Amino acid sequence: MAITRKEMEHIAALARLDMSGEHFDHLADDMQNIVGMVDKLQQLDLGDITDVINTERKNALREDVVVQEYTPEDLIEPNAPDFQAGGVAVPRVVE
Amino acid sequence: MKYEAVIGLEVHAELSTKSKIFCACSTGFGAPINTHTCPVCTGMPGALPVLNREVVHYAAKMGLATGCTVNRLCKSDRKNYFYPDLPKAYQISQFDVPICENGEVFFYVDGEKKSCRLERIHFEEDAGKLLHDEIDGTVVDFNRCGVPLIEMVTRPDLHSSAEAKEFLEMIKTTLSYLDICDCKMEEGSIRCDINVSIRPEGTTELGTRVEMKNVNTFSGAVRAIDYEIARQIDVVEHGGTIQQETRRWDDVKLKNTVMRTKEDAQDYRYFPDPDLIAVEIDDAWMQKIESEIPELPITRYERYLNEYGMTAMEARQLMDSFAKASMLDAAAASGKVKPKAAANWILSDISKYLNDKNAALEETKLTAEKLVDLIMLIDKGTISGAAGKKVLTQLFETDESAEQIVERLGLKQVSDEGAILSIVQDVLAKNEKAVADYKAGKNVTGFLVGQCMKASRGQGNPQIINKLLAEELAKL
Amino acid sequence: MELFQKTASELSDLLAKKEISAVELTKDVLARTKAVDEKVGAYITVTEEAALAQAGAVDAKRAAGESLSALAGIPIAVKDNICTKGTLTTCASKMLHNFNPPYNATVVDKLLANDAVVTGKVNMDEFAMGSSCENSAMKLTHNPHDLSRVPGGSSGGSAAVVAAGEVPLSLGSDTGGSIRQPASFCGVVGLKPTYGAVSRYGLIAFASSLDQIGPFGRSVEDAAMLLDAITGYDPAHDSTSVKTPFEGTVRANLNSDMKGLKVGLPKEYFGEGISEEVKKAVLAAADQYKAMGAEVFEISLPLSDYALPIYYILSSAEASSNLARFDGVKYGYRTPNAGDDLIDLYVKSRSEGFGEEVQRRIMLGTYVLSSGYYDAYYKKARAAQRKIKEEFANAFNQCDVILTPVAPTTAYEIGAKTTDPLAMYAGDICTVSINIAGLPALVQPCGFDSGKMPIGMQLIGRPFGEQTLLNAGLAFEQASGLKNIIAAL
Repeated sequence: MAITRKEMEHIAALARLDMSGEHFDHLADDMQNIVGMVDKLQQLDLGDITDVINTERKNALREDVVVQEYTPEDLIEPNAPDFQAGGVAVPRVVE
Repeated sequence: MKYEAVIGLEVHAELSTKSKIFCACSTGFGAPINTHTCPVCTGMPGALPVLNREVVHYAAKMGLATGCTVNRLCKSDRKNYFYPDLPKAYQISQFDVPICENGEVFFYVDGEKKSCRLERIHFEEDAGKLLHDEIDGTVVDFNRCGVPLIEMVTRPDLHSSAEAKEFLEMIKTTLSYLDICDCKMEEGSIRCDINVSIRPEGTTELGTRVEMKNVNTFSGAVRAIDYEIARQIDVVEHGGTIQQETRRWDDVKLKNTVMRTKEDAQDYRYFPDPDLIAVEIDDAWMQKIESEIPELPITRYERYLNEYGMTAMEARQLMDSFAKASMLDAAAASGKVKPKAAANWILSDISKYLNDKNAALEETKLTAEKLVDLIMLIDKGTISGAAGKKVLTQLFETDESAEQIVERLGLKQVSDEGAILSIVQDVLAKNEKAVADYKAGKNVTGFLVGQCMKASRGQGNPQIINKLLAEELAKL
Repeated sequence: MELFQKTASELSDLLAKKEISAVELTKDVLARTKAVDEKVGAYITVTEEAALAQAGAVDAKRAAGESLSALAGIPIAVKDNICTKGTLTTCASKMLHNFNPPYNATVVDKLLANDAVVTGKVNMDEFAMGSSCENSAMKLTHNPHDLSRVPGGSSGGSAAVVAAGEVPLSLGSDTGGSIRQPASFCGVVGLKPTYGAVSRYGLIAFASSLDQIGPFGRSVEDAAMLLDAITGYDPAHDSTSVKTPFEGTVRANLNSDMKGLKVGLPKEYFGEGISEEVKKAVLAAADQYKAMGAEVFEISLPLSDYALPIYYILSSAEASSNLARFDGVKYGYRTPNAGDDLIDLYVKSRSEGFGEEVQRRIMLGTYVLSSGYYDAYYKKARAAQRKIKEEFANAFNQCDVILTPVAPTTAYEIGAKTTDPLAMYAGDICTVSINIAGLPALVQPCGFDSGKMPIGMQLIGRPFGEQTLLNAGLAFEQASGLKNIIAAL
């Protein structure tokens, strides 16, 4: 399936990637080729695919027990690009 | 033209597990910013989720209590979108195979029994909180990230704000009966999104629906629904058409505004979370869950109406509190007191005490057994009703039995006619004016009974005082 | 012989006999690094101070008479996508150029529990996406056997650092061949364990259902030694972790008796895309197995033709979601050019922080999961994955191990494939099926090409068949003498 430019822009928007200008054209060409490659899968006939749950393994569950071993100062602050008032700061979000 | 509203709800309830859904952080409310966090719930690179068993248990419990089919096999999926309160940039939820499906919730609106079908219940993780008042921009608090939620999605079976409210109340009551949610509305324990459409009355086709978000209270839901129905009717009456869109309810300005239109609808790219594996509820687990389902609130309500002859309001008040209703049932089951008498105590004095103290019944020391003893003491005439109220206050706070309190406070009622007769005669002798008034045809009985009670230090049996006083007065 | 030239097993013995100290050994390998790493470019971060401190602590424990693990005092380098508390973990990406994990990966905790000496973090393709190590935003790593060639990827640093004699052991990760192809290119031993055998907690995810951490060494026994230390059920941290039948016991149970071993040669892996020299070396290894008493016969794995599309769909889909958390908000790179707009902050941080290959994979992954394409790509690839598993299961009804080439060619020149993503992807043809099926596979040297570059062979095993694989590897190693190959630098 060939991807239209509009679709490509939509995908980039979903992925929060900048797909403007020359950079975009370059990536767009690569994408067409890569999608062409994965399209080979369409030649494989698997019949109706009905089962949706992988049941090879089941129930990796933990007990409901609290363990609190981090503080924001050692967990979040050291790596935060902008740490203010006890948390990461971002430009004002208008909800 | 007359219109009918068609309403569907998506109700989110926070589960009252101790730890979060995918990590061992506390779910406690109100902790200082980012103190209930770890690499998992802050989306640190390399961190992985492990599902809390109790979340599955609680979600299945709610499914059973709402008549759902519990899927013995289900899975977790990722819902992908970017937002600062979602540190992994995906929410772990359930997509095509939720834990519960196809339920139905019954409730009463103005004495009429109604129902609303549930399409599904699934478990998922809550997002964090964005704080706008701390700094110039926005600060993200991850404490709520990973708090377990169940989302209950209804079919569009509701037709008014009153129905929606009663449905929500029944969901809340059911959650509290199952003890899986602390139901603190002010802490956002239960939230809902509301889908509203209208259609000409008598037609069956569904109209274009509008989704409303940011509804945080049940009364807010009523206002939001009434507003939206009126808005849609207004649009249609003025020749417009309803747009499929999401609107944000503002419970201060009492209006809603467009958040996003159909065009910018999200593509969440759901897919099975490869970090988690299938969940299976086997027979033994299922039996355990089934064994934990108590009598449901609606069943209790109907029993109180039909078997105890209560008014709708009394039955409702009792149903609303699992602890109160359970106390009533236990008292009734003792066979020693009339259910109605126990209900009266619970609905009046006990409720008043709890309201005054802002306490929950289960936090006090009052038990059904103690209540039964108290009522029996009154029934037998051992103490007066007034003394009973005093005893009750103590029962809330001490480990003593009703008898011990009566003993300690010296509240035992005097029913000995000889002793009371001498008190009555004494009172009549000391109150010449009252006796004179009586002879002049005035009603002084109340005053004289009061004096007799006072003279007996409150312990005289009022029925006997009344009887003997009447006899003595008649002799004058 | 210098210490750095010895295998981990030899060093372990010397340490146990107190003939050498861990500090002495650590100083020796660090000196080797100082001497050669400028040319090889394997390390992103060398943790000299911490390594020497750890070595000193191990020596003290040994002096106090404590009973220690075979790994105690052995220097080990760790791929830079495995979280090390307090030590930069960059994924070779500008996006994480300054990331200091607040916690250790389970495997790192296990190394420390075994008293191993972590010497630093090694280079890789950005977020493990690539097959040549050229997609690193940090530096270029060279093949120690020919500095003009690539070391392979994505665990190129892990392979090169061992081949160059800078450490005897290292950890890598393998999503579609990322341990095995660089092991082959650099002439060392690399093992991709069964999916679930080693905890992924703390491995910065590329494709969660395919990723697996594994060991590099210069001998089969060394790989077994490191495997023993890192294997382990981790139910508290990794839901996909599994109890293995061989936890901690593989090295002790090594056995090179090949009589009756059934070796399958899948014809699809010896087709026209594979260079003659590679085919010849691998078929010679097959003959060697025959000579050792194994039964060798041809088998068929027809779905191999679809392995690349299935792999690129599944791995990219998961990557698009796994890498969404790198958004400039919480850690790593944040654009200075966003102003006050949140979307702008996301888009610019990601577009400036991720390299091109990563962006291509995110785009592909987003596409195959998006509305309207999910069924045709993602869902179908998942169903096809099941078929591939079945196909391997059937093959393992006939044989005990499967012997194949690792890559179509030996290590190629730096820059040879950087402009053509599809040519680069095609190089993964022999390795991706193993991840799709979740199987273990061992790679070790089986010869050299005319340009004196190492040729590797791949032995594929049943789920949790690591012991059988390493036994077979050991037998070949003993017969061929191809062991402990250190590049002359």
